[in-house]
Amino acid sequence: MLKSLISAAALTVLGATAASAHSTLEVTDAHVGSSYKAVIRVPHGCEGKPTIAVRVQVPEGMIAAKPMPKTGWTLEKIKGPYEKSYDYFGTPMKEGVKEIVWKGGSLADDEYDEFVFRAFLTDSLPVGKTIYVPVVQECPEGAAERWIEIPKEGQSSDELEFPAPGIKLLEKQSAH
Amino acid sequence: MALMSPIVSRLARLLVIALCGLLAQVAVASAHATLNSSDPKDGAVVDAAPSFYALTFSEPVSPLSLRLVRPDGSSIPLDRFEVKDRTVEIAAPADLGRGTHVLSWRVTSADGHPIGGSVVFSIGLASSAPPLVGDQIDWAVRAGVLAGRIALYVGLFIGVGGAFSLCWLFGGSRSGRNVVAGTLVIGALGALGSVGFQGLDALAVPVTRIAEPMVWSTAMGTSLAHTVIAAFIAFAAAALALLKKGQFSRVPSLAALILAGAALSLSGHAAAAEPQWLMRPAVFLHAMAISFWVGSLAPLALALRRGDPAAVPGLRRFSTAIPLLLVVLIAAGAVLAIVQVEKPQALVDTAYGRVFLIKLGLLVGLSLLAAANRWRLTKPVVAGDGRATKRLVRSIAAETAIVLLIFAVVACWRFTPPPRALAAAAAQPATVHIHADEAMAFVQVMPGRAGDVTVSIGVLSGEFQRLDAKEVTLVLSKPDSGVEPFRRAAGRRDEATWRIDHMTIPLPGTWRVRVDILISDFDKVSLEDQISIRP
Repeated sequence: MLKSLISAAALTVLGATAASAHSTLEVTDAHVGSSYKAVIRVPHGCEGKPTIAVRVQVPEGMIAAKPMPKTGWTLEKIKGPYEKSYDYFGTPMKEGVKEIVWKGGSLADDEYDEFVFRAFLTDSLPVGKTIYVPVVQECPEGAAERWIEIPKEGQSSDELEFPAPGIKLLEKQSAH
Repeated sequence: MALMSPIVSRLARLLVIALCGLLAQVAVASAHATLNSSDPKDGAVVDAAPSFYALTFSEPVSPLSLRLVRPDGSSIPLDRFEVKDRTVEIAAPADLGRGTHVLSWRVTSADGHPIGGSVVFSIGLASSAPPLVGDQIDWAVRAGVLAGRIALYVGLFIGVGGAFSLCWLFGGSRSGRNVVAGTLVIGALGALGSVGFQGLDALAVPVTRIAEPMVWSTAMGTSLAHTVIAAFIAFAAAALALLKKGQFSRVPSLAALILAGAALSLSGHAAAAEPQWLMRPAVFLHAMAISFWVGSLAPLALALRRGDPAAVPGLRRFSTAIPLLLVVLIAAGAVLAIVQVEKPQALVDTAYGRVFLIKLGLLVGLSLLAAANRWRLTKPVVAGDGRATKRLVRSIAAETAIVLLIFAVVACWRFTPPPRALAAAAAQPATVHIHADEAMAFVQVMPGRAGDVTVSIGVLSGEFQRLDAKEVTLVLSKPDSGVEPFRRAAGRRDEATWRIDHMTIPLPGTWRVRVDILISDFDKVSLEDQISIRP
């Protein structure tokens, strides 16, 4: 009973804070050496047009990416080699999904939706830094919103017009 | 206690989980609104000033600063606005004139992060650029340049031409020799003065600094130096012809005449114009013909007045030569005028054209006098009619006065670039080359002035290699005039060149320019610099 109460409270909070104006990630920090569930939130289309495709670039160091299928959307997984071989629970991984595309759907400008994938943040990623996950929203007639700008050294995401969503990298959690 | 413990621990764990989720939510902060549409549309040309403006964003916003920048660069704050859902409706000022205006906005969205942009629109038509405004004019220097120029003409036409006609028409008659010698001295002084004042004008320094060597060396570094040197040799040759007697004087006097033509074809607006093979010979022939005609006037009048026996045969030879001379003079003059003025409209629209019209008017007067002399007075004078001779002398004096006026008018051309040059200056592009590690862009705004322009953007990789861009966007802003950035997408023209065919740059001055090059879906390079746009 208490459990459901807390869950309900958490859900209420979640609903209230999810009002964000561009494609962002739901959780913006994560520990290296662990799995990360990326929830891309798409709050509006491009210049009033509906979103018909969402493309996500899986950054280097983020491996074993698996997208969550979505009703009404076709999934496309573009695979390629990683820059180096990563250790994935003892298995060396040299290649994997580098880009995920949800397409064929239509998300009106005044509607909200989420696009989800899961991936592993390797412990070779720099702790304390931010890793960026560029997202492109495609709309009809060639229109697009590209949330792909990555801040330069000393620059903040706030200064950018179309900032890519980022994940702050936290220290690896010690094994239980 | 022992019974409670597992419940408490479970509760604590749940609480932590819930809190973590909550914190993760709070961390999502940044939010960016974008402009979805505007009324008037960005880049639009509207017939009449709109009564209101509307900006529609991708989410609700609150305006921080809204202003309208007028074609003259002044800006009006727009205080009366209403926010309706995602649209900001702004009451427009009533007293707007024609031309290009900028609606510059700065708003904040949910996260308090401010964003800005501009909507460029034109009422009636895009601002046509005002005429080129020159620098501050130093009238003392200008007067000096003009005086030097007139004196140079006096020397080259009356002096050198006079020496030539004395030798070739009047068989070395001494009538008018002193006058001719005097004009040669005036010409030499004029040539010298031209150098000094040219130097002052070129360096834009006051008359008081005329003694400085730098002033003179600067002037001698310009094309005027060739003219001055040729003129000096012409004056020397003409002086030699005056000193010598008989047939031998003809050679240096002819050389002087040729050098006078050459001197004027070596510098000046007309001589510098294309096509050079046509323009330089045209200036040369035009100047030689003038020199011969004008140079004959003073010796003729003086010889007639003194009753010199060489006068009548001289007049006869002059009358024989003049028709051919006029043909050369007018033909060469017409070539020069057509190339320099380009369009008939420019005769009225430009200072150069107006000077040309005044010169033409004076020339018509001069031709009427000359024609009267040729057809009404020459015969009786040759026949020995004393009254006719007196009238001819007076008429020639009047012709000389008109010639001096023409010199003064023509000297003004020194300060009135011909329409050809104005058009070329106006069409001059503004350029900026922006180089970064990842890519480089060569931005060319044609013409490089405020108003309607075409922009071409050359894109290469940082190592001067081919760069396959997906999209190229130009973003302009002018913070000192309160103009927030506005963007225009370029279209691909060829492998490395992108182009914006129609764009209006609302104001002259220094603009911040940014070229966004989308290399792949996820890779964008932004290059930033400044570009100077002329009025």
